[in-house]
Amino acid sequence: MKHQETATVTVNRPLGGSYYRLDLAAPAIASAAQPGQFVHLRLPLFQHRVLRRPFSICDTDPASGRLTVVYKTVGEGTEHLARLPAGGTADLIGPLGVGFSAPPTGRLPILVAGGYGCAATYLLAKHAPRPCLCLFGARTVGDLLLLDEFRALGCEVRLATEDGLAGHRGLVTDLLVDALAGAADGPPPMVYACGPNPMLRAVSRLVLARGIDAEISLDHAMCCGVGACFACVVKRRAANDDGWEYVRTCVDGPVFRASDTVWDT
Amino acid sequence: MADLSVQLGPVRLRNPVVTASGTFGYGRDYADLVPLERLGAITVKGISPFPSHGNPTPRTAEVFGGMLNAIGLQNPGIDTFIKDEHYLPWLRTLKTPVFVNIWGKSIDDYAEVARRLEAESAGIAALEVNISCPNIKEGGIAFGTDLVMAAKVVRAVRAATRLPLIVKLSPNVSRIGDFARAVADAGADILSLINTLPAMAIDIETRRPRLANVTGGLSGPAIKPVAVRLIHETAKAVKLPIIGMGGIQCAADAIEFILAGASAVGVGTATFTDPGVLVEIVDGINAYLDRHHIPRVADLVGQVKLG
Repeated sequence: MKHQETATVTVNRPLGGSYYRLDLAAPAIASAAQPGQFVHLRLPLFQHRVLRRPFSICDTDPASGRLTVVYKTVGEGTEHLARLPAGGTADLIGPLGVGFSAPPTGRLPILVAGGYGCAATYLLAKHAPRPCLCLFGARTVGDLLLLDEFRALGCEVRLATEDGLAGHRGLVTDLLVDALAGAADGPPPMVYACGPNPMLRAVSRLVLARGIDAEISLDHAMCCGVGACFACVVKRRAANDDGWEYVRTCVDGPVFRASDTVWDT
Repeated sequence: MADLSVQLGPVRLRNPVVTASGTFGYGRDYADLVPLERLGAITVKGISPFPSHGNPTPRTAEVFGGMLNAIGLQNPGIDTFIKDEHYLPWLRTLKTPVFVNIWGKSIDDYAEVARRLEAESAGIAALEVNISCPNIKEGGIAFGTDLVMAAKVVRAVRAATRLPLIVKLSPNVSRIGDFARAVADAGADILSLINTLPAMAIDIETRRPRLANVTGGLSGPAIKPVAVRLIHETAKAVKLPIIGMGGIQCAADAIEFILAGASAVGVGTATFTDPGVLVEIVDGINAYLDRHHIPRVADLVGQVKLG
């Protein structure tokens, strides 16, 4: 069930760099949200722009009605959002989309994230069995977020940065290679990933080459957010003459199986 | 409470607010968010005889006061539309009239979809013949900007079905009245206008078009005054009822279209901004009529004061 509600901003604070944490009082959506789903947010006083902005749900507290989003200022919309004060309101539609499947007990969950993609996996980590392994990569140390929060959940967090200032110098996929090798004797791990497309593509290749799958969360510009407009399509394997079909990120995803995803060359 | 019902030729609606094709999917996607029974009618996304992938991505780009789209009429094809529970069988469970938008690459394609729907006409209030989509290489706007072809398509569809026909006109013509008359003579019962305006946007950093299709259709409040003018011209040219659309965001906009000559109004891009706006427009039209002591919305159609 999708809800539309006027949410009050309780927190909208910078996390360093161009990252922000936004807490909203949105009880109907917070109590229905599942890991990996998103909300579609309409900015107040933004009349010359007709489209909402989609944001992954980072965390929820159904008891208090809190819903948390972590965002990066990347353009006019998010810069406008960053100026929204506590006590202000935003119109939200959610929870939307198909999120991550629940990690089964007995299989190691490995969460792979690039940059602030980790925010979309926080709720998953909260509900995952322990141990839970988090592999986070970013360009620089300043792009690594929520590390204390993930550690506080009891997750093991391993880092990779391209500048080498935190953790392994290199890519998060290097960490994944090691983690998969380390888990090779046990039951196959459950791999979940969120981040930029090149990273998701590399993660997909890695896991599929080892005979396992991954759930990857794709980011796409959206219009309606509910499946009506067919703007946010991606290619998925299909049993037709072409071998693929365009499916909607907003309702058929944003989480897809790596084995179903078709990447354009 | 004013009388909001409207008579569009053979089609009666409980109120004048209709969803615009391509912006409301096949109805079900918005069922949680919009009380469908409060709408005048639902127009579903364009159906062709064959399944269609549509265009590559990016398919949309937001611009000042609107957006461009080049979806390319992705759809599951008529067979799936008729059989699959998500489409026509589900639409038949609604109390709201359903308009089915149809398109093809050839005149035969249009006639074929119309024939198939004629055989499955239960639960369909009308067909909307799309001769104005700017985003496909064959059919669409190529028919809607050629007087002879436009009439041929409508005549072929008319011969294939007894269902009421709405013909959706392109704004991309210099004399829309000529097209209105041509499709009226060919058998149209109702006109809908305007479709989106062919447009383009460029990313100045990459120097690439913002749409994979290079060009797309502009919609949203930026096009509203263009739509009002074209509806006014069309209403002067023909007696057929008009479903006016193009950038309507609120009840005041809808009333402007009605004054210009529209008997009903289509809402599209504004639904993306806020699905709640559809019902707000219904209520807002009613409030306006009450405030002006106008008993029936039909009394307002074309009542712009000239001279």
